[in-house]
Amino acid sequence: MSEPSISRPRRWDKPFSLEPGSEEEMTDADVEILLKKPPFSQIDPAGFKRSLPLHDIIKNDARVVGFDDGDIVVRRGDWGNSAFFILSGNVRVGLERGKPTLPDEILGRRHHKVKNLWESFSQLWRNHSVPEVRKLDSVFSKSELKTRHAHNSTRIYLQEVSAVLDKYHTARLETGHWFGELAALGRTSRVATVFSEGVSQLLEIRWQGIRDILRHDQNGKLKQYIEDAFRERALAAFLRTTPLFHDCQPELMQRIVDQVEFHTFGNYDSPKPFKDLIENQDHATEGGEPVIIREGDYPSGIVMIRSGLARISQRHYNGRRTIGYLSPGQIFGLDEIRAEVQSLTPVGCRTQLSAIGHLNAVLVPTPLVEELLKQNDSTGAADLHEVKTHVSDSGSHSVKINDDTLLSQLVDQNFVQGTSLMVIDLERCTRCDDCVRACSTAHDNNPRFIRHGPILNQYMIPNSCLHCVDPICMIECPTGAIFRDFAQGDIIINEQTCIGCAQCASNCPFDAIRMVDIRDSKGNIIVDSKTRSPLTQATKCDLCIDQRGGPACERACPHDALFRVDMQDASQVGEVFSR
Amino acid sequence: MQQRITFLLFTVISLLIFAGCYLFSITLSKTSFASGTILLLCLLFLASYQLRKKISFLPLGSSAAWLRFHIFIGFLSFVVFAIHTRLQIPNGLLEFILFLTYYTVFLSGVVGLFLSRTIPYRLLSRGEEVLFERIPVHRRKIHDRVKTLVFDDAQPEQGAALPDFYHKHLQDFFEGPRHQISHILHSKRHLHQLKQKISAQEPFLDEQEQVRLQQIAEQIQLKDDLDYQYIFQAIIKLWLFVHVPLTYSLIIFAFYHALAACAFASTSG
Repeated sequence: MSEPSISRPRRWDKPFSLEPGSEEEMTDADVEILLKKPPFSQIDPAGFKRSLPLHDIIKNDARVVGFDDGDIVVRRGDWGNSAFFILSGNVRVGLERGKPTLPDEILGRRHHKVKNLWESFSQLWRNHSVPEVRKLDSVFSKSELKTRHAHNSTRIYLQEVSAVLDKYHTARLETGHWFGELAALGRTSRVATVFSEGVSQLLEIRWQGIRDILRHDQNGKLKQYIEDAFRERALAAFLRTTPLFHDCQPELMQRIVDQVEFHTFGNYDSPKPFKDLIENQDHATEGGEPVIIREGDYPSGIVMIRSGLARISQRHYNGRRTIGYLSPGQIFGLDEIRAEVQSLTPVGCRTQLSAIGHLNAVLVPTPLVEELLKQNDSTGAADLHEVKTHVSDSGSHSVKINDDTLLSQLVDQNFVQGTSLMVIDLERCTRCDDCVRACSTAHDNNPRFIRHGPILNQYMIPNSCLHCVDPICMIECPTGAIFRDFAQGDIIINEQTCIGCAQCASNCPFDAIRMVDIRDSKGNIIVDSKTRSPLTQATKCDLCIDQRGGPACERACPHDALFRVDMQDASQVGEVFSR
Repeated sequence: MQQRITFLLFTVISLLIFAGCYLFSITLSKTSFASGTILLLCLLFLASYQLRKKISFLPLGSSAAWLRFHIFIGFLSFVVFAIHTRLQIPNGLLEFILFLTYYTVFLSGVVGLFLSRTIPYRLLSRGEEVLFERIPVHRRKIHDRVKTLVFDDAQPEQGAALPDFYHKHLQDFFEGPRHQISHILHSKRHLHQLKQKISAQEPFLDEQEQVRLQQIAEQIQLKDDLDYQYIFQAIIKLWLFVHVPLTYSLIIFAFYHALAACAFASTSG
């Protein structure tokens, strides 16, 4: 066997402080200073493994970043994979209450303009004969954004901070505060825009670093801080998204908020668990997934999913059969507790709940749920019926399909992630390709999907973007070019900021993102002036966001064979797959 | 339920057209102009479906709704055509061509409706789902695999049983789409015959060759499934090449007929 020419890359080959956007490399002296300050001084280094000491985590997974007055640190809606600790100075957090939020224009977001009737019609002859033509001025021109190069990176900034403070509702975060940790650890989008007020210095830590600190910190100070922050800032609002808590009285809600437990299941390591799930389906139901509540156990409370997806399964002969799944905002265990309240005897779970990939959940203890149910009872039978109807109608229990095999396949292959899953009913599809042609016409003669993919029963799931509920393609995008559109909720790519790094394409477990060579209006491939290599950009289904009338593929199918399904919508899923 | 409503609506409209034409005829007016105009409008609407497909990005309603309406108007046009021609074969050359073209287009439409309802089930019942344009590539790959199994490690001194068998029974089968009529008729007779030939050949082969022949048999099944997919996808695509150009011819003839009728006929009885 020949000697390997290069050594295997390891986690900290390239410390965070050496990545683009960093100012200076993190030195041992810097780390020592940080470790003497709270909250790091409150962390017990003895609990860390010798191969993974706290010192090294800080040195490699953290960096010090400076911000000038008005510099935007994070934007609402972006998918972040790091948290921030304020070392010095202040930052401002944009709040939604009272006054309008910071508008997208000043945050550097692109508004997708829907084509007018003439622009739509003129696509018939204006479309280019060669694929992926870009207007050079739109890809490379400087936009009207306020950007500046400082601290070794290009940043968007707010020009007149005082005017912004007057006009929009913001809150100040001072030295010693954390922010961004909930989005980084919960794998959710940033819920608020944060910008620097005056000059500030922040410590930015990658989620991997926070994860390891949380895992080994025996004092649990940081974990406690993060949980407290969630309790304080977002828990009540999150609970109220479920009809069960709609009419909860403030006093009871406060007690629930105080006593809720936080649980995390599964491996957070980026797209790996999802790819594993698709590739190794043998261990999907039994061995591979962490169990949240076992079948037959008495529930210690209701489990409400914060992020990720959970499988509901039931013993079937010598194996387990998938009978439903839960998506964010849905709850498990309510029926058992309700039955317990009615019969006054403990009722075991008839099904098992397990985490698919990574999952964050909150557990509301049984006594509080019982109290809540009694409170709802006391509000009157009509109201209780309304709550029950709400709960079942809105799919708060779980998403179910009559065909167990199909459901199991959809969960095993993780298609339940889709908020706009493309499905083709092959019992209706004549393979006429009208859908592909319509997509092609709507996208400058280059279709954004391939009518080919796995077949589950009579349903084909083509290679098209699912617009995942947990879009892991967005996690490592360095420029935020791939983002979730606020108005529609679709995952789209901004051509103006896509640098063609292919992170999104390699992260996508469904191979729904393609890297393409881009061309100028004459059809010539655009090449980098320095390296002379072709410039590429990521492309994928954008649900025809700029077209009138929505996805062209769906409207173009003459036989109603192609449809889009929001796999989080229980009623839609049930209706579509049982038609 | 929806089908019942559609059928009821179709019956009511057809009866109304009949009644209208009858009432018009008792006034001693010629009904041909009225029925001809309705028919021409029907044909123009039917043809506009193809245009709708081209501009799928405009919010003009779903293609599925258009198709349902296309079928409805198509059948309705048949009723109007029957009234217009009084179920008689015209004696003029142009009228006869027009008559023939209409019936061909109408029947091709009915056939298309039948195909679009039956072929999806057939395609799903057998073989791997392959894009039509990719079928030749898959076929070539299968053929290459078979040639490798037949010719690799062939030792001429021990005879060439597999190559001989290949040249005699398999080469033609693997070179292109075969047994299309059998596939359309859902017959597997050709496959059984080929398998029988394989069974008959087996006693003359050594152990290794027998293993290879079994692998070839698997490729035969794959290729046959691919042919099955090919012929049914091809039928659907071919059907459009019949229905659409004939529709355009029909419209040209119909316009010419309308102009001639307007120029040479009198509207009064």
